[in-house]
Amino acid sequence: MSSEKREVTLTIDGREVTAIEGEMLHDAARKGDVEIPVFCYEPKLGAPVGACRMCLVEVEGIPKLQTSCSTPVRDGMVVHTRTDQVKKAQNAVVEFLLVNHPLDCPVCDKGGECPLQDVTQGWGPGKSRVIDEKRHFEKPIELSPLVAIDRERCILCYRCVRFSQEVSEDAQLQLLDRGDRTYVGTFDDRPYVSPFHGNITDLCPVGALTNYTYRFRARPWDIEQAGSVCTLCPSQCNVSFTVRDEKVKRVIVRDNPGVDDGWICDRGRYGFEMFGAAERVTEPRLKGGDKVSYEDAIARAAKGLAARDGKVAALVGDASNEEGFLVGEIVRGALHSPHLDSRPAAGPGIDTILGLARPELQAAVPDIDEADVILVLGTDPMQSSPILDLRIRKAIRRNGARLVVATERPTALDGGAEAIARFAPGQAAHFVGELTAAIGGAENVATPLAESLRDASKVVVVWGERLGPAATAELLNFVDAFDTKNAGTDVDGPKTQDGLEFSAHQHVGLLEVPEVANARGLREAGVLPDAGPGLAALALNGHGTEEIREALIDGSLDGLILVGVDPLRDFADTARWEEALNAASFIVAFSTFTTATAAKADVLFPLETHAEKDGTVTHPDGRLQRVRPAAGRPGDIRPGWQTLSQLSLALGHDTGITSQPTAFAALTAAVPFYASITDKSIGGRGIRWQETESAANLPNSATDAGAASADTQRVSASDEAVPVAGALALGTYRDLWAGPITELNPPLKFLKPSQRLELSPEDAARLSLDSGDTVRVTQGDKSLEATVAIRERVPEGVCFLAEGIAGANANSLLNGHQVSVQIEKLSEVPA
Amino acid sequence: MSDQSFYRQAGSYLDSVDVVEVQRGPEPGGVGGAYRAFGETLRGLKTTMSRLIEGPLTIEYPEEKTPVYPRFRGRHKLHRFEDTGLEKCVGCSLCAAACPADCIRVVAAENIPGERVSSGERYAAVYEINLSRCIFCGYCEIACPFDAITMGHDYEMADYDRTNLIFTKEMLLAEPIERTPLKSEGEETKGAL
Ligand code: SF4
Ligand code: SF4
Ligand code: SF4
Ligand code: SF4
Ligand code: FES
Repeated sequence: MSSEKREVTLTIDGREVTAIEGEMLHDAARKGDVEIPVFCYEPKLGAPVGACRMCLVEVEGIPKLQTSCSTPVRDGMVVHTRTDQVKKAQNAVVEFLLVNHPLDCPVCDKGGECPLQDVTQGWGPGKSRVIDEKRHFEKPIELSPLVAIDRERCILCYRCVRFSQEVSEDAQLQLLDRGDRTYVGTFDDRPYVSPFHGNITDLCPVGALTNYTYRFRARPWDIEQAGSVCTLCPSQCNVSFTVRDEKVKRVIVRDNPGVDDGWICDRGRYGFEMFGAAERVTEPRLKGGDKVSYEDAIARAAKGLAARDGKVAALVGDASNEEGFLVGEIVRGALHSPHLDSRPAAGPGIDTILGLARPELQAAVPDIDEADVILVLGTDPMQSSPILDLRIRKAIRRNGARLVVATERPTALDGGAEAIARFAPGQAAHFVGELTAAIGGAENVATPLAESLRDASKVVVVWGERLGPAATAELLNFVDAFDTKNAGTDVDGPKTQDGLEFSAHQHVGLLEVPEVANARGLREAGVLPDAGPGLAALALNGHGTEEIREALIDGSLDGLILVGVDPLRDFADTARWEEALNAASFIVAFSTFTTATAAKADVLFPLETHAEKDGTVTHPDGRLQRVRPAAGRPGDIRPGWQTLSQLSLALGHDTGITSQPTAFAALTAAVPFYASITDKSIGGRGIRWQETESAANLPNSATDAGAASADTQRVSASDEAVPVAGALALGTYRDLWAGPITELNPPLKFLKPSQRLELSPEDAARLSLDSGDTVRVTQGDKSLEATVAIRERVPEGVCFLAEGIAGANANSLLNGHQVSVQIEKLSEVPA
Repeated sequence: MSDQSFYRQAGSYLDSVDVVEVQRGPEPGGVGGAYRAFGETLRGLKTTMSRLIEGPLTIEYPEEKTPVYPRFRGRHKLHRFEDTGLEKCVGCSLCAAACPADCIRVVAAENIPGERVSSGERYAAVYEINLSRCIFCGYCEIACPFDAITMGHDYEMADYDRTNLIFTKEMLLAEPIERTPLKSEGEETKGAL
């Protein structure tokens, strides 16, 4: 779409500037190094509104001054930004904005980084003529438990309101009242709740909206900004840590249109206070909590592991590519065992992974912007990768993309969808099969979706790892359904800027929403049971996650290495995992916090957070990004790569890794399609390996070497629901706020979720349940308590519980099969 | 450059015609010589003699202190409001921004109703000046929007321990143990200050 834009030439302050047709004058001026002050203009928020009048300029031929933020350029335009008329207007606007501004900069958190201060200094009259009393509001008050609002300081620029209305689409913020009494607020003064609302504090050009977590913590000259990547979810947003005295004090956005579009979610923004939680593991420990030195701990770990040579497995979760690679070296190289995995449940085989990794099938995040139709399949981006949710909303709102949703559980995006299909838990593979058939012309449940997809020229499929291995394998057929439909058309289609190559008239790009933040990087670094670094086939395949658990229980495996995983919270079938961890005679764990899993470790090593870590991660779309250390490591924590490489050395396997750069070099040497990537090419924005010359080094998916891998590694044979009279099929989902993020992080404690049983109004009526009732949910001999939440869009016969909730974890009810649950009312909702 | 070529260059300089002519004074001896030997000495002695009657000018420091001018920039002071007793400093850190020696550290905190420390929303929970680094330029005083910090007259800050030179908020709020005498209007300079 951008290629057809014409270039125009205009003159701004006597300088000739070349701009793209349709561009706003303000942006064109910036290209010519002419600065025009703005307040309300923020391209991230969509179309300009012209609310503040700060950007007035003189355009020859137009008698009145124009707002440069909302005046598109024309060829031959002559613009002046420094004439007396403009100066007078700028002075007047600044003076006007300051009429009611309290000018309490010394106590204002924005002071020093405040656009109002800058513009007043640069373009203001320098003095005020106002001698009257200023307008007063009660201040500061809570807009939410995280954001303070000082209405006296507000200049009514509409930015925050536009964010709420048009970006996060929660429609909670409004400008209320009229004239100089206008203020930003919510209906009925309710707290502003939205998982993205922290962004308004970055947007506000004055100190009207400030973070409670950063309240009076530092001034811009007290701090350092350190760019890094948030690894709290697979979105891998680019963030910048505000660091004072070696501690993170604030997290702000670091715009990267290829990843996050300039937004971050509240998880990433307010999650930093858990870095210093009392539960943090700050030094190596033995079982029981005794602290030991690194040297001692490494020696003990090496001794214990060496004694179980060949019978050790590893599970990796929250780790960088380098750490994942090193775990592979330890397990495969030093301990002669093929058993390691990075997925919380059974995953697809290497053939499927390779098939889906083909660069021409890979959608990059910005492809969402240009999609005709977006298919959200088996994932709720809001819960699993929140920034994708905003990206999809943007595509729909601004670019007219159409959305179809096919999931088990209602998603946050349903409201904007053109067609919605719900499949029963455990029926994902069946559904994807139906959808494939429907695109081929068959009439079935997926036909309404297929109709939207069939005539689209550019489809982006946002699919979840939660679909399960069978459905994931089915995705390849699904993609083929599009290609076959257009068989015979030009194969060398155009290539987009993002490298998405079109195989026919229809272009299908897939974008995975994995379960762990660096899932793609770990897989590509070889943390898979059936593929080594670079997704290379292995001579001997090992066990996947669930098989490892079973092997520990039956004794065929003995030792376990856990890196950044908490099976007792995050993996299905808690009881069985408990059994497996108890059965393992030696566990070495790397953990950020003291969890129930970490307590079972014989040797426990601390793990760095993403504010401390140095390493690379790979975005689900293939973008390698660098996590850079921003803050000091608390206690005695050493880098993960260091501990792992020393452990490997102690086991007699020298990896030659002595620093982060050598670790990265070893990784790129081992992963052929990372070969041409350097620290420099990653830079601050990351680089997609599909766009480098080494992309051709991706192995072919045909299993030409090594053992053929079964596509399904699920322990259970069948995904079919087992019907029990009066029972509801149980679906589970990951709650955005479950886990340490709300349990160990004081600012977000108020968001800590309690277990809710979501079910349809029909089932609720049948079981005579009301929203708010407390129920016992029983599956076999396991049960948990939950509060009923009736949701219109939940299909009949199904209910949902959240995973990872302390004390009532849905994972404890799962057993690898599709389960159904009995519901028993415990108490009515209090009147 | 090798040594040899250096000397060659130096030599060529000395060889050049550009010779500086030295101005010499008059030759010694004669009447002029005698005057220069005694006359000038006596002139100097005259000053000495005339001052003799003034008595000693030595200041018996530290028993006796040199008074300073009112605008002398000595050790800093933080101030409170006289009526409410609240600290004037709101912890805005502007002084820290202005300080060229980077020796002020401010960590602000929020006032709790009932336990107000300052008159604004925030106050300085930590306020430290590292006086071993301070260059007594007074920029902090100029930067402060509330006249919360001023340069005092105290100049006796020597210590055997550098850490004692980090002055905390409590120390800066307290009056100096012994006040430095101020010069009164028109007072003549006594001593070197
Ligand atoms: S918003 Fe900006 S101008 Fe207003 S008080 Fe705060 S720092 Fe000063
Ligand atoms: S609160 Fe801030 S962002 Fe919102 S309208 Fe006021 S000045 Fe603009
Ligand atoms: S007098 Fe100058 S050097 Fe000393 S603290 Fe103040 S600003 Fe800094
Ligand atoms: S002394 Fe003045 S300038 Fe320094 S922090 Fe306090 S109020 Fe701000
Ligand atoms: S920036 Fe143009 S009107 Fe606000």
